[in-house]
Amino acid sequence: MKTLAFRRFCHCVLGIVVTILWMQAQAATVDSTPSFNDPVLTIPRIDVEGYGALTLQLRMEDAQKLIFGISSANPAVPGFSPGATYSLQTEILSIPVLRAGASLYAVQLRLLSGEKFQVSSAVQTLLPGQEKYGQQCQGCHGSDGLGGAVGVTLKACANCGSVDSLVTKINDSMPLGSAQSCVDSCASEVASYILTVFNATSTPSDGLAMAALSVMPPSATLNAASMQLLSRMPTQGELELVASQGEAGLRKALKGMMEEPAFYVRLSEIFNDWLHTNRYLSNNGPEAALQLMRRYPNARWFDPGEALRDQNYQINRITTNNSVAAEPLELINYVVKKNLPMTKILTADYFMVNGYSAKSYGISNIAFADEWDPTEFHPARLPGLPHAGILSSLIFLNRYPTSATNRNRARSRVVYDLFLDVDILALDGVRPDGSAVDISSFAPTMENPDCVKCHSLLDPVASSFQSWNLAGRFVPKKNWYTDMFQAGFASSVFPVSSGQEPLQWLSEKIVADARFDTAIVRLVYKGLTGHEPLDPPGSDATTAEQEAYNAESELLGTIKASYVADNRNLKTLIAELVLSPYWRAQGLVNANYALVHEDTGAAQLLTPEMLHRKIAALFGFEWRGPLDQYAQALRAPGSARLLDTRQYFHQIYGGIDSFSITERLTDPNGLMVFVQERLANEMACYSVPQDFLSKKSERRLFPLVEMTTQLNSTSEQLAVRQNIQYLHRYLLSEELALDDPEIERGYLLFVAVQAEGKAKIGTSESKSLPNQCMRNNDMMTGASLNSGGVDGRLRDDPNYVLRAWMAVVAYLLTDYRFLYA
Amino acid sequence: MQRRSFLKIVSGLGVVSTLPMGLVRPAFGATPTRFLITVSASGGWDPTSLIDPKGNALRADGLGAINNYSTTQIKTIGNLRYAAYPDSVVPPDIGSAGHMDTFFAKHYKRLRVINGIDTQTNGHESGQRFVWSGRLETGYPSVAALAATPFAERPMAFISNGGYDYTADLVAPVRTAAGSTFASLAYPNSQFPNVPALIGAGYLSSPTYAAVQLARAQRLSSQRLTQTLPKRAQQLAQLEIVRNGDVSLEGLLNYLPEQVSAGLKGQAEIAIAAFASGLAVSATLNVGGFDTHADHDQDQSAALTTLLEGIDHLWQQIELRGMQNQVTVVIGSDFGRTPFYNAAVGKDHWNITSVMAMGAGITGNTLIGETDANFEALKMNASTLLPHSTGLTVTPKHLHRALRDFIGVPSALDAQFPLAVESMALFA
Repeated sequence: MKTLAFRRFCHCVLGIVVTILWMQAQAATVDSTPSFNDPVLTIPRIDVEGYGALTLQLRMEDAQKLIFGISSANPAVPGFSPGATYSLQTEILSIPVLRAGASLYAVQLRLLSGEKFQVSSAVQTLLPGQEKYGQQCQGCHGSDGLGGAVGVTLKACANCGSVDSLVTKINDSMPLGSAQSCVDSCASEVASYILTVFNATSTPSDGLAMAALSVMPPSATLNAASMQLLSRMPTQGELELVASQGEAGLRKALKGMMEEPAFYVRLSEIFNDWLHTNRYLSNNGPEAALQLMRRYPNARWFDPGEALRDQNYQINRITTNNSVAAEPLELINYVVKKNLPMTKILTADYFMVNGYSAKSYGISNIAFADEWDPTEFHPARLPGLPHAGILSSLIFLNRYPTSATNRNRARSRVVYDLFLDVDILALDGVRPDGSAVDISSFAPTMENPDCVKCHSLLDPVASSFQSWNLAGRFVPKKNWYTDMFQAGFASSVFPVSSGQEPLQWLSEKIVADARFDTAIVRLVYKGLTGHEPLDPPGSDATTAEQEAYNAESELLGTIKASYVADNRNLKTLIAELVLSPYWRAQGLVNANYALVHEDTGAAQLLTPEMLHRKIAALFGFEWRGPLDQYAQALRAPGSARLLDTRQYFHQIYGGIDSFSITERLTDPNGLMVFVQERLANEMACYSVPQDFLSKKSERRLFPLVEMTTQLNSTSEQLAVRQNIQYLHRYLLSEELALDDPEIERGYLLFVAVQAEGKAKIGTSESKSLPNQCMRNNDMMTGASLNSGGVDGRLRDDPNYVLRAWMAVVAYLLTDYRFLYA
Repeated sequence: MQRRSFLKIVSGLGVVSTLPMGLVRPAFGATPTRFLITVSASGGWDPTSLIDPKGNALRADGLGAINNYSTTQIKTIGNLRYAAYPDSVVPPDIGSAGHMDTFFAKHYKRLRVINGIDTQTNGHESGQRFVWSGRLETGYPSVAALAATPFAERPMAFISNGGYDYTADLVAPVRTAAGSTFASLAYPNSQFPNVPALIGAGYLSSPTYAAVQLARAQRLSSQRLTQTLPKRAQQLAQLEIVRNGDVSLEGLLNYLPEQVSAGLKGQAEIAIAAFASGLAVSATLNVGGFDTHADHDQDQSAALTTLLEGIDHLWQQIELRGMQNQVTVVIGSDFGRTPFYNAAVGKDHWNITSVMAMGAGITGNTLIGETDANFEALKMNASTLLPHSTGLTVTPKHLHRALRDFIGVPSALDAQFPLAVESMALFA
């Protein structure tokens, strides 16, 4: 049966060296469809009698004559199904379905002499369902199935696990707004097409892209995660856990971190960057949130009247306002804390109050452990109000208001954007030209196809908000506009007879939609990495862009599946993202993948809030000015340099107020580098004397030297080097050998400053510390350090040692590793 | 992924000393001689309460009057028309620059008004985006960012005070704070930056500070050269670019008032000081209070007073620095407000709006565009700029085509964010 020609061909290629990487990549491949990615034609599996199942790769050598040479032939890994046949009689290689870009071809290649193949026929082919896909799905999901502004990617989509699941989805709700146009056989054929063509499209290059990354080891990952999630150094217990158990220990440590209160501070920041409900915090007006509660008679419970106000008035006023404002973010915190599915953030039939806001709402049936603890939030219900998680929140509804003419469409757009990862305004690329749109009919949004395109999506959701008025109050509607689509979602119409409140019904529909999971993954990914996941590549995308997207979406798809499988527990999602090679990427081991990994990695400029907390964690005090006045500064609102908006640097350093400024600056600019310099100089000035005031065993910065340690002996020189090495580890999480050039750089700085400074004392230099660096008063109490006959002050630096260390610390505090996460 | 930023490309290649200015060559040479300020009246202003007045004639459709002032009270000055205060509103003091009579008497000769612009939306976010970028959909930078791009290496090239300030990564937006903050940044090593006699008292001595800066620069360069992950390498390169900017903020302090004002006036003072000291090229100023869904007459009038006072103050700053022939000011809003009142005596969102311009290159005392009695846009002949039934409806896209041509956005940059629409001489 075997001909000489095929033996020749097989023998010549089976001897080709198989690289380990290639095999690893192949192991992850599960798509059986042959494909052509210029210039390589890959057949994942072809069965040839006597040789078994082979994976073939052919490389195009003559584009004019369509001649291919065989570049590799290897035993096919299990899991593939045959995608081509070879006839030993006719010497024809036949590929019934060959994917080339978004098109499919039936191709035949003829064996030539010299182990070459030439294309003898290539006919574009249509699979069952392909034409219907082009007509009804392609507009949103793209010809390549990778999605667009509105449609999600169909590669590894939530319903792509089986034909049945996908058919059900299409039958029930696709295409959006017109589900009845593709049901039964249409749905089956389209589902089959989607699964055949778009799914399981892992390619060898996806695996290679991952292999090109070097990732942080568990210990460094622990350090970075601890700073990112908690703004603190790892505990000894966490370090030991990771040291003893490696990756498993890291996973346990991460889970433990997510039980700490500090984690929920960070979580609220991530979610506020998404919701911007902190617009109602008191920095945007002392009663920014309380002003929304005019119908609650007890809203301003803390005010006894102007004449009777005491020192508690202002504190209670601000705390109450901020407690009301924090309600949506506290709901998210509660859901995560309790390991509830994230769907609850929209479906919870309660909202959150603490002792302060409960009083404002007139809620008295909550058993607070401490009604004056502003962090103690509990679920609560307002009588007669059909809670629908965040969607029915007074704060959310006011943050995204509507008007009589807008009819909740703005709210609908936001719902799509935030909770379904759909930008309505990007639908179909360009909005119809206003002057060209016929708006003469009674309801153009329901009748004119140009309008219906968007409004069939927008208006059912908008109408579902019909009972929530402009002020965010629940006012049940008896009549709703008839010239717009009625309450509903996708192809489902709200069942009026159900007696359910439309918004509650809507929230259940939204969380059941696969795009809700995508939206959550996207926002957490952005929160942890500082950038959005890649958009689907367009038709003009480069190969690198395509590969980058494929690799990233593959990974995120896997992580999303883990999160969904674990009852949509957000902690699982965060842990999986932090453990992923994308978050842990620290370098490239294969420079050929530089373009593919152009945006890979979690390095991001610390936000002013994160930088503020990092400083506090490392130094034991915040950046609020000289430590002699620190006790007073702690009580002065607005003294935190990186948090204050008006006098100091929060806004300059890229912070947001969630009101007029809602986008963080992610790249440094000319002003921000001055903030960095001032921060470094001030903190060095404050921290060095402060640290030397402490016992050696309690020091954060200088555990290996004394104020008297100069460079007079080899042992002193070694101690200085070792302390610089320690500072690299402590401040920058950088492990360096003692003879590393970077240690030498810091050492030489110390040497130069100390020697020159000491030599000039008495002439251009003083023996005293700079005024603002002196330590005269206790940092926390403000009491003099010179009392009871004991002078504990630190004012002088006779050998210029402290100032040399200040130089080293200032140098390190402007380092990339300090300023970026 | 498809539109990489200049910064990314440059830093990715390791070129850190200069930006690819050949691609975005300045229109007027390497030193900026033209500056742009956009003033956003955030929330959606009501042109019929300002520069496109209609008065209290009742609408034929029964929706009532557009304004609560008499049609006969509509004011005319030169070629411009402006509104009277609603009957229920107590106008600001006539001596205030925020009073419309005072403002227009003082500035009409330098004001160019474009009425009847169709924003095609009544969403705040999309309205702001369209009015300040020329594109309703996402993705285009604000025109102020475009103006600053050829000078992106300047430390404060583009100052943003909020509103639509998307830059498409062309230039780093700079946000500012209170005036006193600048001294602490101008002298980052000073213990007493706001005490002139003690400014030299540093946390670190001068030689020490110089040694720290040298070590810092050497380490940063070393880190960049050894970093293999593109994103980190790009961030290190970017940090190196901004640190190597050889920037001094001391010049800015020379131009700032001793006490920087609050609000819009303060924004104007900082922007003009930054222009005069050569640090900035463009700025967005931002003032809110225009989203008057209830009690429109009172609240809109108050917001307009603040706006006009701010614009007047801005012009004073421009004159103080002698930059009348260098600074162009464009004033606009998200959209307009309904030509009728709602049940809360407020006005909701309306897609028709206006824009005002003044300053360098602008021919004042000019009115372009019209709206009809119901505050709907009238079509305009693209050449004559006069109303014409077969003409076109002016949108922010036309506005930006004209504005880009007017301020001289380099062609390569312009082509990166195309506005395929008729070119009209709306600004000159």
